[in-house]
Amino acid sequence: MTTPDVASTAAGLRDAIRSSDLRLSKFNPLPRILTFDDFNQGAHGWVELGGNYNGRGDLDSMDEHFRDFRPPMLSNQSFFDVGTHGGMTGTYSLKLATRNAPGHTATAIRRLTMSGRGLLQIEAYIAWKGEANLGGGEEANSYGDISWDANSHPTEAQFGAFTVATDLSHDGIRYHNVMRFQNADEDGRIIQKWMYPTVAEPTPHERFEGKHDYGRYADFTAPDPKDWTYLNDVRQEACYNEVPTKVNWHYLRFLIDTKTRSNVELQFNNDTYDLRDVPVPPYAEKYESLESLLNFYFSVRTLGPHRNFLFLDSVVISTDW
Amino acid sequence: MRQSQSAVMERGVDLHSVHETEPFEVAWAGEARWYVQFLRPAPGSRVEFRVQISPDGLTWIDHDGVEPVASEAVGMLSIPVTGIGHWLRLRSEQTTGDEAPMLRIYLELKE
Repeated sequence: MTTPDVASTAAGLRDAIRSSDLRLSKFNPLPRILTFDDFNQGAHGWVELGGNYNGRGDLDSMDEHFRDFRPPMLSNQSFFDVGTHGGMTGTYSLKLATRNAPGHTATAIRRLTMSGRGLLQIEAYIAWKGEANLGGGEEANSYGDISWDANSHPTEAQFGAFTVATDLSHDGIRYHNVMRFQNADEDGRIIQKWMYPTVAEPTPHERFEGKHDYGRYADFTAPDPKDWTYLNDVRQEACYNEVPTKVNWHYLRFLIDTKTRSNVELQFNNDTYDLRDVPVPPYAEKYESLESLLNFYFSVRTLGPHRNFLFLDSVVISTDW
Repeated sequence: MRQSQSAVMERGVDLHSVHETEPFEVAWAGEARWYVQFLRPAPGSRVEFRVQISPDGLTWIDHDGVEPVASEAVGMLSIPVTGIGHWLRLRSEQTTGDEAPMLRIYLELKE
């Protein structure tokens, strides 16, 4: 048997074992799985993104737009109409919840370091929701593009965006691979397109140097809307399922390459997008103290006075190194 | 080993009359404890804290097993809670005093 045959056999055996694993068979990981989080035994290292503070622990020294990304919570998805929904795998999922303030963002980040360079993939089963409303007048039946018709529900238009992204650094070069699903705009107009930023994320050091000072509800990934570009003009329809208390899990897969610091591919349910032409702008400034940084984050951002929620049932991070 | 979580619900919020923490899901937890620090005290004030529960994160009532806790808006206090159901929040109300204190609020949860 030649060496390639051994490698092929090993890969086939690995795939067979994984596909018979009830928890992993719904994923398509690269050969080495770094993390598997189904959130039935805790938050598994997914933590609220915090900003940078001074040597005195003084949170006033933190960028205003980095101060309140809210703690993630374990959710069994208990709703007013059906009771406990549960997760896709087991009872719990990890929930990110915004405040009911336009522009507010909730974020959960997982912090690792790289033991190699090459392909890096995050997969997840996710769901997103507006907050159910109880009571109110007839005005509660309409928001933006959607009026309740027993099929579409206005809370769908009250959901702004969710983002899957990285924070990576090696050889002194820091960069972010970022993809955002923009569901609706600030007026509740349905967009449902993928987008990406064309600039690097503003840093606390830049604020320290007086280059910017953003407000609490600025978009921390890229504050200026002009710095975002749609991946394409195709509306990516999804499964909100008519009311905010029905949960259908969506498959998401984001593949990047740290060897070339580039995007590779995005899969959302049955649609796969080639991202190799999507830029990944690096910081011009060299970084120290971040060598081999390997962070992934999910965020959810509301654009109106409504809480927005992103649920992660399970997340797998894998590599080819 | 028991699962646990510490959630920083507020890092420094000005208490203007009434403040309610964001709804937090706690179905997995068997016990909770709130910590409140007065980052900016308001001596001479009276602040009352009520632990509240909810079946859905939308409608709230006072916890039937936790009496309201009164404070003079200085230092730090904690409120232990059991029988917490699925949702939990803390309601803070300044009932006397003119200067608004600033609060840091933690929620600790254990299985």
